[in-house]
Amino acid sequence: MSQAASEAGTASLLERAKGLLRRRGILIVLVLLAWIALGAVLKGVNTLALPTSENTPFTSVLREAAASIRGNRTESPAFVYFFNPIRAFVESFIELIRAVISLPSGDDIIPAVGWLGVVAIIGFVVFATSTWRTSLLAMGMLLLCGVLGMWTFTMDTLAMTLGAVVLSLAIGLPLGVWAGLSDRVLAFLRPGLDLAQILPTLVYLAPLALFFLIGTAAATIATMIYSIPIAIRITSHAIRSLNAGPIEAATSMGSTRWQLLTKVQLPMAKRTIALGVNQTMMAALSFVVIAALIGAPGLGKPVVEALIIRDVGDGVVAGLAVVFLAIMLDRATTAAVVRTGNFVHESGSARIRRRVGLGAAFTGAMVAVVLSRYELWAAVFPEQLIIGESVSSATSAAAEWITTNLYFLTTGFREVVTVGFLNPLESLLSNTPWYVTIIAISLIGALIGGRKAAAIALVLLGLIVLTGLWNDTMVTLAQVLIATVIVMLVGVVVGVLVGRSPRVERIMKPVLDAGQTLPAFVYLVPVLALFGPTRFAAIACGFFYAAPIVVRVVADGVRDVPSSMVEAATAAGSTKMQIITKVQLPASKRSLMLGANQGLIFVLAVVVIGGFVGAGGLGYLVIVGQSKPELQGKSLAAGLAILLLGVVLDRMAQAGAERRREQGSA
Amino acid sequence: MKKLATRQFGIVSMLAAAGLMVAACGGGVNSTESSAAAPAASTAASAAASEAAPAAAECGDWGVAMHAWVGYTASAQVLTNVAESLGCNITQTTLDEAGVTYDAMEAGSVDVIVEDWGGGRWQEWVDRGAIQEVGSNGNVGLIGMFVPAWMAEEYPDITDGANLNKYADLFKNSESGDKGAWYEGPPGYTTIGEKLIAANDLNYKIISTGSEAALIELFSAAAENKTPALGYFYEPQNFLAKVPLARVNFPANDWTDAEKASGLTDYPETPLQKLATTKLMESGSPFASLLTNFSWTNADQNMVALDIESGMTPEEAAQKWIDANKDKVDAWIAAG
Repeated sequence: MSQAASEAGTASLLERAKGLLRRRGILIVLVLLAWIALGAVLKGVNTLALPTSENTPFTSVLREAAASIRGNRTESPAFVYFFNPIRAFVESFIELIRAVISLPSGDDIIPAVGWLGVVAIIGFVVFATSTWRTSLLAMGMLLLCGVLGMWTFTMDTLAMTLGAVVLSLAIGLPLGVWAGLSDRVLAFLRPGLDLAQILPTLVYLAPLALFFLIGTAAATIATMIYSIPIAIRITSHAIRSLNAGPIEAATSMGSTRWQLLTKVQLPMAKRTIALGVNQTMMAALSFVVIAALIGAPGLGKPVVEALIIRDVGDGVVAGLAVVFLAIMLDRATTAAVVRTGNFVHESGSARIRRRVGLGAAFTGAMVAVVLSRYELWAAVFPEQLIIGESVSSATSAAAEWITTNLYFLTTGFREVVTVGFLNPLESLLSNTPWYVTIIAISLIGALIGGRKAAAIALVLLGLIVLTGLWNDTMVTLAQVLIATVIVMLVGVVVGVLVGRSPRVERIMKPVLDAGQTLPAFVYLVPVLALFGPTRFAAIACGFFYAAPIVVRVVADGVRDVPSSMVEAATAAGSTKMQIITKVQLPASKRSLMLGANQGLIFVLAVVVIGGFVGAGGLGYLVIVGQSKPELQGKSLAAGLAILLLGVVLDRMAQAGAERRREQGSA
Repeated sequence: MKKLATRQFGIVSMLAAAGLMVAACGGGVNSTESSAAAPAASTAASAAASEAAPAAAECGDWGVAMHAWVGYTASAQVLTNVAESLGCNITQTTLDEAGVTYDAMEAGSVDVIVEDWGGGRWQEWVDRGAIQEVGSNGNVGLIGMFVPAWMAEEYPDITDGANLNKYADLFKNSESGDKGAWYEGPPGYTTIGEKLIAANDLNYKIISTGSEAALIELFSAAAENKTPALGYFYEPQNFLAKVPLARVNFPANDWTDAEKASGLTDYPETPLQKLATTKLMESGSPFASLLTNFSWTNADQNMVALDIESGMTPEEAAQKWIDANKDKVDAWIAAG
């Protein structure tokens, strides 16, 4: 009975939404047609194209500012008493960790602990915080890094990541708790936290290098600035989403605020906070890899080198080591989270067994540490075990084979997308007068997301014009849009499959998990090998990076469609295809919008890195400024333009999703 | 539960700390070479080491910047090998050119650039006292726009920049749209393609390549398949000996004045420069005098670069040249 009512309700709602959508769809098409027509008539007029080597008044101001910051590095009080001490502190902290696991001091051959010792210590710590299975996995992953011949690089990355995470948590956890307790603090932090979610990693590098120069310290601080917001966000969420009951009870019993926090709120929020530690760590790892661009030691270095000299094999080997390290850190912390959340008391005998196990593991670890200091085979990763070079040449050969024999898949596909879609879109965006493009985008924004979205688009796009980098922004936007469309097409198809079938989900889960833990930077090398230094390479990177998250969001949406709706449609004799297109997809529209939003942001983050390998646009400008001081102002302005573009895309997609929701609930 | 977890965490961290203590107090593998090398007492260790091996301490630890073209690798590796034979401890760090590396030098993580093409863009760092010019490394660089040799044979007048528009259609591809594709050097390189195109009214679009390797691939494919290609290249580069390219010439201009040179211009010949941190040059280290004296010809560099490209490791290739050119190397060391 109630099922029938809800069915009728859903049906009429769908009808209404469809009507609205159709009308709005027609309007959007009209705007697009007008845009294309005006673009054709006024092609090449007021496009604000600016040669790379030229500055605008705004970028000149930034360049002067950058030069004056550089000039003040040695004498200005801000540097002497603030930036330089921070740099020195962070650097010595990281060097301390590196001295233990990666960097031999003085004339030493190995750091304080050799490879066997590191593997054993990590194995023990993971065993102590989670399970022996995870511990074995962690040790196995580390050994694989060594087998690839990447031991020292891996240890550098691990040292950088752990150091950055410790410092990030030292700042992020207290701030997160505070933001969780006080609305005012949260309101103060929120704009920063929101921005941090949108900002691509590449954008952090240039400004930080300006203040902290190049090296471990700059890289670590950049990493912290990237990962602290994540720690804050999750911690404050953990405190805020607590069940009110126990807190009220504690308050009524006369607990002080401090007691309430330490005895009730923090213990209750522990599991979510532990999840925050996991997220912070994964963010830090992905950043440490790209921070090689500003001198971070570790696995990013061989990746960058491979990109520059286009050595696919070496790049893939380093990338694999990143993957293994990421899996190790992710599984180890996730397992620790699960254990943290396990409220079941262990029985007495189980506890004793575990204690004995811990003791044995500790003894084993200590023996390994001592061995790693006295025995050469345990100190330096044995040459005989290293197969990095053969993996590297095999990969290079495979890439070569693919590019020569599967020409239609690589070059062919690239040409179709480039000529058929990218070039026309880029031409529409960048060869049309800027005011026409801004008005058209704002109108589309109004139709998708309402007046507010339109106003935001209008203002922020106007600001981009003021930076002087309008044309480059449009080049980047074209790549972002094409990549997002491809990612959505594939993401929806795969997401529906995953959402509908538990079997497909089981097969896809490890792929999605791995995909989501991978730093964006790692995708560049293989993609470059397949597609060459083209804009399409950047698009492909964006696709690979964003696909897992889109698939996941879409699958969740499809899975959450009430089974009553699907059953009703099946009873009415709908085919499988009809169920998908008429019921499941429309009903999970919100997830689709969320997926598109996430997809856009993820794609943007990677497409700008593509500037590194020939994709032009804003990312190229960010990188050019790194080596050409005369263009540093432009590089900073490009970072700003990326940020503005990110906010426009994010807000428009979000406004669209919100409108959908309002209509849905209306 | 919470208490239990805290206690457990405490025990684990105590045990881990104990492990590190064990690590810190042994001598072990590290002491096989120097007498006492416990990291906890690293200052003591290095002091002891300095007594044991005076040469090593005299030279010290220095960083050499590595840039991503094979000629640079050749020069930097020869310098590194010779320096290490003097007992210096050299760390090579791969960085983008110019700004990034100058900053790294100012921060102290890198000390030497052995081949800089950038005609004075380091001035600001010199003014601040972070970097010093150490003179030319003996190589002379010539940048230009090149086409594969077969094109110069088939279209003899293509090597004159004024005729490029006539052939723009040949160079069209999906990246360049309705213009000719002009493959420019990587982001850090000295490039004036935009100015050349504007000043000569060329119907070409700049395509950024991102790497030397991309340019090499472009020209290799163009020579092999007889496809057209117009791209940035430079000497010294031993690749030119394997795949002959023809340089496209543009009207020369006064390069000494950067402002005036913004019009019609071509790339000038550039004596390549050595740069070092003030810290190194004032240290009195033998590495400083080695760097000051280091100088070799384009032919020398090409020889090492060729060996690297044909599969030797940079270390092997550099050592091969050093062994074959003892007199030159001795002159670098002796003059100090």
